[in-house]
Amino acid sequence: MSRKNEPGMAYDMNKLNKIFAFLSVAFLVTVIWVFLDDYIRPWKAYQLEAMQIRRERLSQGIEQFDQNLDKEALDELNKKMEEARLIIAARQDDIEKEERELARLARDLKSQTLINGTLSAKVAEVSFHYGIATSKKKPTEQKLFEKLRDVKEKFAESADRMIALQNAEAEVRGRHKELNGELLEAERGLNELLMSRELMVLAKNKTNIDPIFALRNAPFVDFLDPTLTVDQIVLENISDDRYFVQVPKVDRCITCHTFIDQEGYDDLPNPHKSHPKLDLMVGVNSPHPMKSYGCTTCHGGEGHRVNDFTSIAHSPQNAEQKQEWIKKYNWHEPKYILEPMLPLQYSEASCVKCHQGVEYIPGATVLTEGRNLMEKYGCYGCHKIEGWEHKRKPGPSLERISSKITKDFFKSWVWDPKSFNRHAMMPAFFMQDNNSSEEYMEKNMAEVNAMADYIWEKSKDYKPFMAYRPGNAERGKQLIKDVGCMACHGVEGYETESRKISADSGPYLTGTGSKVDADWLVSWLKKPDHYDPSSIMPSFRLTDQEVQDMATYLMSLRNPTFERLKFEPMNPEARDDILLGYYTAFDPIEVAQAKLDKMSDREKNLDLGFRSVGKYGCYSCHNIDGFSDRAPIGPELTNVGSKPLTQFGFNFQSDVEKTRDGWIKAHLINPARWDRGTDARFQGITRMPNFSLTNREAELMTIALLGQVAYYVPPTGVRQLDAHEIIANEGMKLLNKYGCVNCHQVDGQHGKILANYEDDINEGPPRLVGQGHRQQADWFHYFLENVHPIRPWLKVRMPSYNFTNEERNTLAEGFQAMSKQQTFVDNLQVVKWEPGEREAAKALFDSYACASCHSAGYDKSIEPSAPNLALSKRRLRPTWIKKWLEDPQAIMPGTLMPSFWEGGESMDSTILGGDPVKQIDALTKYILESGNNNFEPGLKKN
Amino acid sequence: MREFVNYLADPIRSFPIFLVFFYLMIRYVKVVATKKFAVIGTLISLPPIAWALADKNFFKIVIRPDNLPINFLIITVVFFTWFSLYKGVRNDGRLAAGEVPIEALPENREKVWTWPNLVYTELFCMIAMTIFLVVWAIYFKAPLEEPANPTWAPNPAKAPWYFLGLQEMLVYFDPWYAGVILPGLIVAGLIAIPYIDTNPKGNGYFCYEDRKMAINLFLFGWLALWVYLIIVGTFLRGPNWTFYGPFEYWDYKKVVAEYNVNLSEFFWIIGLNQPLPSNMILREIVGIVISLGYFFILPLASLKTKYGAKLFKDMGTIRYFILIFLAVAMASLPIKMALRWLFSLKYIVALPELELNF
Repeated sequence: MSRKNEPGMAYDMNKLNKIFAFLSVAFLVTVIWVFLDDYIRPWKAYQLEAMQIRRERLSQGIEQFDQNLDKEALDELNKKMEEARLIIAARQDDIEKEERELARLARDLKSQTLINGTLSAKVAEVSFHYGIATSKKKPTEQKLFEKLRDVKEKFAESADRMIALQNAEAEVRGRHKELNGELLEAERGLNELLMSRELMVLAKNKTNIDPIFALRNAPFVDFLDPTLTVDQIVLENISDDRYFVQVPKVDRCITCHTFIDQEGYDDLPNPHKSHPKLDLMVGVNSPHPMKSYGCTTCHGGEGHRVNDFTSIAHSPQNAEQKQEWIKKYNWHEPKYILEPMLPLQYSEASCVKCHQGVEYIPGATVLTEGRNLMEKYGCYGCHKIEGWEHKRKPGPSLERISSKITKDFFKSWVWDPKSFNRHAMMPAFFMQDNNSSEEYMEKNMAEVNAMADYIWEKSKDYKPFMAYRPGNAERGKQLIKDVGCMACHGVEGYETESRKISADSGPYLTGTGSKVDADWLVSWLKKPDHYDPSSIMPSFRLTDQEVQDMATYLMSLRNPTFERLKFEPMNPEARDDILLGYYTAFDPIEVAQAKLDKMSDREKNLDLGFRSVGKYGCYSCHNIDGFSDRAPIGPELTNVGSKPLTQFGFNFQSDVEKTRDGWIKAHLINPARWDRGTDARFQGITRMPNFSLTNREAELMTIALLGQVAYYVPPTGVRQLDAHEIIANEGMKLLNKYGCVNCHQVDGQHGKILANYEDDINEGPPRLVGQGHRQQADWFHYFLENVHPIRPWLKVRMPSYNFTNEERNTLAEGFQAMSKQQTFVDNLQVVKWEPGEREAAKALFDSYACASCHSAGYDKSIEPSAPNLALSKRRLRPTWIKKWLEDPQAIMPGTLMPSFWEGGESMDSTILGGDPVKQIDALTKYILESGNNNFEPGLKKN
Repeated sequence: MREFVNYLADPIRSFPIFLVFFYLMIRYVKVVATKKFAVIGTLISLPPIAWALADKNFFKIVIRPDNLPINFLIITVVFFTWFSLYKGVRNDGRLAAGEVPIEALPENREKVWTWPNLVYTELFCMIAMTIFLVVWAIYFKAPLEEPANPTWAPNPAKAPWYFLGLQEMLVYFDPWYAGVILPGLIVAGLIAIPYIDTNPKGNGYFCYEDRKMAINLFLFGWLALWVYLIIVGTFLRGPNWTFYGPFEYWDYKKVVAEYNVNLSEFFWIIGLNQPLPSNMILREIVGIVISLGYFFILPLASLKTKYGAKLFKDMGTIRYFILIFLAVAMASLPIKMALRWLFSLKYIVALPELELNF
């Protein structure tokens, strides 16, 4: 080996020792490094930062306090204090005497407590032995009984002495306090003035970085009692799925997001910022306080981790933020995490997790927008979504289509709906990314031709019952705006108004003249359910002339470019080719060809038509004869928000963000994109049509879809509806389905059409506030079937729907439940007057000139501008009338009904002593007494 | 160039290339086992390695925390293989010249104290190793991932690095053979070495010539059938255990057209144009005969060769047959690999009814 050393030694010992020394030092350094590596955590830095911030705020607070302090008051109090001290000094002897007395009493009390305790224990012991002796009939029974008597007596005596001592002490204490009275009072005054300052100083002291702080948080010893700690919220009512077991959710987000639940930190950067919606979320007084709902319940992510920024599965909002995070936090895409955090803009998706089966989630504005869009475009038509089953089919019925439009129109429309009506909600199936090749277009056109043939073949005859007679288009146009068509339809000629209202329950009325049959149109306007009983289009009880005028205007709207379009006639080769494709799926080509050869042209057209309607799923949105038993065409979306990422087919679209929201958004904007680079065959291409959504629309719908999750939330965590809410929600479903909410604002929500009545909101459809309290249920039930004008001066009309009895009940019940009211009001009760009250009521009625607006039945010379009071008895609830009289503006801001008792001051103080309560009572009685006992004027009493 | 390397790296090509290099190494062992060759070899290999590391995909694989030990492994295996050959060949030269091996020189035969010469230096190694492991652990965090999710397995799902060779074997054999029999034989074989190899030459000193057969056999099993397979499993197997070239992006959508056919199907359907017999023994008869022949007839037949006869005479019956059996079992792996690559052969004996595929 090496050079020779001492005998028996291979190495030089000195050298070995040096190596050992070096290694030992290196080892020590490594050990220290291990501890430091464990000690230095990113979250500690944030907590220190937070501490500094808190300290600064407190210093500012103290400074501010000192500035605002009332110096004079302080001086005054100090002076009082001095005086008090002087007064007390004079009584020093007395006070000392009392104090001595108190000390003596305290000693006695303590000694008595000891005696008392001993005796009490003794009593218990002897009772036990005596009980045993009695039950076992032991000879010691009698002796024990005497002993028990004895100790009990002693115990009673002791207790008496105790009470005496306590009373004595209270007495002395009272005297002592009295002697010190002035001083105590002065102290209290000072305390009151300086209390909040003292609290701030105490809090500030907690943020001192002193030796104790350093020691408590020093490495190696910080396991004992550190002040920098991982803070956490443990939620019993919400769980995390840890594969096979549900464990309470643990969120440690607050370790770094230090002030998230406190007000006043909005100006700080993250993570110290306050939550932006403390009144709704996180805040102690919000409906979702942090301690009960945590953070990741809504935001998603791995809330229990605090290792570093990425491990929590923070998700960036956009590419820009992603770059920033990569730079700042070394961020990377989280792996194997089923539920990474939702990008901030998608947070509202989580509301659906717990708020299930409700029409609207108040507060979730963005989510609601997204869900409204899903409803507008009818996603639920093709895709089953649990909880959306009650919604109507998104498209109109095609069961009698042949009498409404021409076949040519149908073909051109199906080919490209937006070319006829750029507001069309019908999506584009053709001329997409994946079917724009010449061969595919040729085949698609054959399919459209065949579908038209099939649908016309199946279409039932319908004879319009009215003939079109051109009327006054101008008047028709005015009527369309006046009666309220625009609540559901956008209308050409009213572009500004249409944009303001953005109605989407019905089609945008443009180019109608190029589209529909004129006779059909008049019949439809007059009586929609004559053509299609399943339609939600109601009747506006238009006169024949009104119908003709409206139709004249609508027929004058034409789309000449579209009219000139001529659809390619059926290409038999393309048709046979497609059919062969269908047949060869089950038969060899020879058999398929033979089958095809045997068919006539008509048979081929109809068969291809039938198959194409099935292929594109037209029946999912439209009623088409022959498809009633088919399931919707698209895959179910109930749980799409928790579908594993690996199950989303990104195919070769590498520019799509590899996240759920990335896929869904890309898919909504252009569903055909996934076929790029896949060489899909004609039958196999993606069939989801293109809705031409804007980026924003797609994003909103993505939020709504992301909310469709399958995560288990314990029943205690889910928002449970109470009995009223369930019924109210059923009503809301109908209000929504029939578009009632397009006209009526319900408790401050909805009422799109009111955008058109900004000048005078009272000209618009009545706003429904506490409607269940306002109206009587049986009247409403009657009204829905027999709509009649209540406010005849309004131009906008309440239309007549074809509600079933059940639906009317549901609506009446719904309103009732919203206002938590009983069904019936005792209408048979006879009004009982106090002496002189009736005369007073009459006088009030005149004095307040009620009949000047509610003139119906009182003064024929005045056009009424308020509802007929005679109807009130059966229409309104008496309690509501009182509430309404008290302060109409509180119920319906902007109403014309004046308040006669503003601020509790009666306008006429001469009647009933000017007492508002008595006056309101009297007037209510008067209205009830003078009211008709029927639902509608001119009807017999019921 | 990268495409070309990717192309070459496919086991179909890289395994024969590896074998050629292995053959060249033992054929020209005198050249290989020199310091000059080591220096030149290192210098020549550095630029290609640097070039390879410049590739994004390759670099990503190399620096994965799981793969670091394998990088060490490659470097140490190459060094120690060379080092032992170097020492052995040097002694071969001395022996041929009639001198004693270096280890037998008088100054190397002198005895020294266990303490401190051995124990103290062992302590150094312990401390140094601990420091190394601790620093490694701090720098490269343990590659632990999220809690295991049975419905979402990582892709590729790889065994620990030391088992990647076994996992690679599973591509070619059924688990009972590649996972039970073969590893069992490896362990048994390693235990059996001192009892089989009774050659007294080479005790206490490095040599090559004197133990040529033993060294070659071991190096083949160790380098070609274990280390090479680990390298393949580490660097060349990506998602779905599909082959990826070292410079290829691991696209989990990559598809490889592999459709494997059993020997019985080759024989009955393609060869004889007959349906498969319903009797499974009859169906698999060809494979069974071949397998039995391979494991039993081949060792007997080996006696007919001159080398075999000499070995038989030297070793005795039991030792000889144990050795031949181990060698045959070892050779079954490269043979099956070759058959799979050349003929897409799935199983020689396919008895799924008995879960006994071979």
